[in-house]
Amino acid sequence: MSEQRIGEPNASFEERSRALFQDSVEGLDYALRSRLTQARNAAIEAVAAKRRPWFTRLGVLAPAGVTAAAVLGTVLWLGSPLGQHAATVSDGQPNLEDLELVASSDEGAGDALDMLQDDIEFYDWADKAANSGSAASG
Amino acid sequence: MPRFGTLNSAWMVWDGPAPAPEEAVLEYPRELEKFLAEIERRAFRMAQVALRDPDDALDVVQDAMLKLARSYSARPSSEWRPLFYRILENGIRDLQRRRSVRKRFMTWLPGPKEDPEGEAQDPLDNVADSGPTIPEALMQGQAMQQLEQSLRALPARQREAFMLRNFEGLNVADTASAMGCSEGSVKTHYSRAVHTLREQLGEVW
Repeated sequence: MSEQRIGEPNASFEERSRALFQDSVEGLDYALRSRLTQARNAAIEAVAAKRRPWFTRLGVLAPAGVTAAAVLGTVLWLGSPLGQHAATVSDGQPNLEDLELVASSDEGAGDALDMLQDDIEFYDWADKAANSGSAASG
Repeated sequence: MPRFGTLNSAWMVWDGPAPAPEEAVLEYPRELEKFLAEIERRAFRMAQVALRDPDDALDVVQDAMLKLARSYSARPSSEWRPLFYRILENGIRDLQRRRSVRKRFMTWLPGPKEDPEGEAQDPLDNVADSGPTIPEALMQGQAMQQLEQSLRALPARQREAFMLRNFEGLNVADTASAMGCSEGSVKTHYSRAVHTLREQLGEVW
């Protein structure tokens, strides 16, 4: 009996406090409700993204993969001799190999001139000998 | 030929109306969304009672939603409520701890000292509510403010037990799960909370 008397005010107190709390919940303004909805949507989006099949994520990764492959291909192409050749030809610039050939040909011509200067007396004698030979025979 | 027939029939089965994977994938999020929509306002108000600041309360609720969604959405939906409130109460406790550390740090800095009790009246508490003008609503608002102040004055565990049991309507077992303690402790905390609140508010109410 005494428990009932003690329990009754507690029950009414609990009911009243619950009702007050519920009123305060329903009295939340629209700005707060909107922010709560945004928070909820963010949480749902997080779980939806987590549960999405792996192949749907490729749709997001595909452009990044293609870009990476293109960059890698370009780097490898430019790094290779073929790439260098193609680049120099397409740029209209002289090729390194061609320059070497020109340099080597210039070098060969220089050697020939040097040889001519060193043995100029021999060539002079040979020329005279040839001329005298032709005059004697003539 | 039989092989072609088998292949053909297999292809027919494969090509038939396939189950929509998107539907299966979205089933849990829809259920979770319904659950969150049902509890979000009460959770916010409970966090606001504990933390006072609405922005902090919103942050804590948002974090609890995200953590529940990321880590526990695959669990049975019957477990979501105690799990959510456990995350929420942990978030509230963490924030209160950070605040107390900050307050301790601020006392070392020069400048206006904070109230050592930490229970200074928020100026906004004294601003008249511009919403309802009906005297009953005003009285209810005042009663709720008094209840909130008394709840803030309670020890944290008693406040948690009272709000989870009374405001959220959790049973003793779920409250114990949410608070991470035994059912006996929940009963003790709740009983003491009701007793203290009745002592403080009994005259006013």
